[in-house]
Amino acid sequence: MAVLKINGEDKIFENAVPSTLKALLELLKVDEATVVAEVNGQIIPRNSFYNTILKDGHKIELIRFVGGG
Amino acid sequence: MNIQKAIYNDSGYSPERLETLLAADAQKHLEQMAQKARQITRQRFGNTIQLYAPIYVSNFCVNHCPYCAFNCKSKLPRTRLTIEQACKEADILASEGFRHILLVSGEDKKFINIPYLAELTQKLREKFSSISIEIYPLSKEEYEILFAAGIDGIAIYQETYDRTDYAKFHKTGPKSDYDWRLDTLSRAAQAGFRSLGLGFLIGLSDWRTQTLALTEHANMLMKKYWQAKVSFSFPRMRPAENVDKELFKHMISDTELVQMMLSLRLCFPDSEIVMSTRELSGFRDNMAKICVTRMSAGSKTNPGGYTVEEASLEQFEVADDRTPAQVSSMLKSNGLEAVWKDWDKAFIK
Amino acid sequence: MKDKLIIAGKEFSSRLFIGTGKYSSNKIMAQSIEASGTEMVTVALRRVDIQNPQDNMLAAIDRQKYLLLPNTSGARNADEAVRLARLARAATEINWLKLEVTPDPYYLLPDPIETLKAAEILVKEGFVVLPYINADPVLAKKLQDIGTATVMPLASPIGSNQGLKTKSAIEIIISQATVPVVVDAGIGMPSHAAEAMEMGADAVLVNTAIATANDPIKMAQAFKKAVQAGKEAFEAGSAGIKNQADASSPLTGFLRD
Repeated sequence: MAVLKINGEDKIFENAVPSTLKALLELLKVDEATVVAEVNGQIIPRNSFYNTILKDGHKIELIRFVGGG
Repeated sequence: MNIQKAIYNDSGYSPERLETLLAADAQKHLEQMAQKARQITRQRFGNTIQLYAPIYVSNFCVNHCPYCAFNCKSKLPRTRLTIEQACKEADILASEGFRHILLVSGEDKKFINIPYLAELTQKLREKFSSISIEIYPLSKEEYEILFAAGIDGIAIYQETYDRTDYAKFHKTGPKSDYDWRLDTLSRAAQAGFRSLGLGFLIGLSDWRTQTLALTEHANMLMKKYWQAKVSFSFPRMRPAENVDKELFKHMISDTELVQMMLSLRLCFPDSEIVMSTRELSGFRDNMAKICVTRMSAGSKTNPGGYTVEEASLEQFEVADDRTPAQVSSMLKSNGLEAVWKDWDKAFIK
Repeated sequence: MKDKLIIAGKEFSSRLFIGTGKYSSNKIMAQSIEASGTEMVTVALRRVDIQNPQDNMLAAIDRQKYLLLPNTSGARNADEAVRLARLARAATEINWLKLEVTPDPYYLLPDPIETLKAAEILVKEGFVVLPYINADPVLAKKLQDIGTATVMPLASPIGSNQGLKTKSAIEIIISQATVPVVVDAGIGMPSHAAEAMEMGADAVLVNTAIATANDPIKMAQAFKKAVQAGKEAFEAGSAGIKNQADASSPLTGFLRD
């Protein structure tokens, strides 16, 4: 069993966490093109999603644009 | 721009507004301008006039300005004050009540240099709340040294903003560098000077064009160096020894000078308007009632003039030779209070 | 000749900027934006809702037509604002930013100290910073000194629709400004927007008044016209109000002697 903290909440994975950020986004059905990602406080450029390795216990922030003034 | 709008619309400065106020046509409306100028001045500055006095520390000069009695070709005797002598002059001014003084000098760099000025300032800052300088242009680093010593104000006039005329009157010497002089107020502001005094020597070039150049200069300084206060002075060509009046074709009448001062007050409600003793007492008194905020009194424009009986060479003939007490009393009779001390260095020690 | 609004070297024909929050639907938001004639809209950054990951407001905004101006709303201090700014830049590769630091959740008033701190950092990192501030003339000058592209003083608190409560202070800011002044927050009616433009503001930013109107699209149109009218009135110049002159003896009588 493994866990990732995503947007402040623990998400538990049966076996292992998705191997890459790209894989995680696919799993969550989040469109890569619309999202900004931080892994352990580091901003990950979009073209690096595919080779950003995730490990048990990582903290992920997924952020996107919303309406605002 | 419509003249009524130019006078009454509190829109601040624009070249268009100024041109309207300076135009010959506007002279029909001088009384209206004066009333409005007085109202603005009273609102912003109250019923007070700040008094100051100059100390001339040297009439040696390496420049050759034909309009100035100190020019290097003049054969008349030169004086420069030692620090002790300058302090004696200052003592007299302090005893008369002055707390704001202006150190003036010809371009006498070898003697009236930064160490001299810094040392003199440090001796004077005990007695005076505000010390300004009116000398030759300095570098920013030099202004920083003087600022640290206790000088917080500067007055320096471009004489004329017209480059051709400037070259005509300043053919040789360090003063021939137009740009070095033009940029000096910016350097002083960068060094922290709180008070920036501008003006042009009225009589050298067409006064309307010069006033517009002056206001553009002031406007730039106000926007960029917003923590400093701009003041306007009106040095008008006056009789003096060795000065050739044939050379100066742009003298103006009293009416035109009043028009200039009123226009500046309307466009710059918060700037200081300064009147020195170059002007006659009657003129000064009347302008004090309208829009002037700072005046000198009892001035001696020759080094040692306050202490020594025998007059050394004066820069210009003082036209209002009343004592400070007389000037203060005149102001009082006009419902104005003379302010001797307005600022205190102790606040920022 | 009408002068163009230029911010950080970019020309704008419309002096109305629109916020994208508080709309009832993305569709109405998009239609309102269109009706307003704006060329730049603000957007915020928030965490993706993992339960509902498809919701993507950005798809409703045509990025060919409208510039995105990310804001740092939600930031309560300089560090948070800087973090949000960097995230926004990573997302869009735009380096324009509306800097908004609001520690107070009731009035959403901007923190002057944290805003100045964040602005200094972000300008150095190459952001085009448009800082949202209270109508504080000294703060506005300090921000201009460090290189922000505009200043954006509030008219009244965000969402309050109270109009130009800070009118005199904004007048001072406009008179001292060396960058465009965008009045932002609290503009509740088109007349407020016109008033701001008549005073000499360079642009206005409106969100709540349009998004929460009964007919946002119509309101957006009204704002468009109001901003144009206000700007034209400013350019036309009014006649001026004559003050009463003092009925004392003539001040310039001495010249005739």
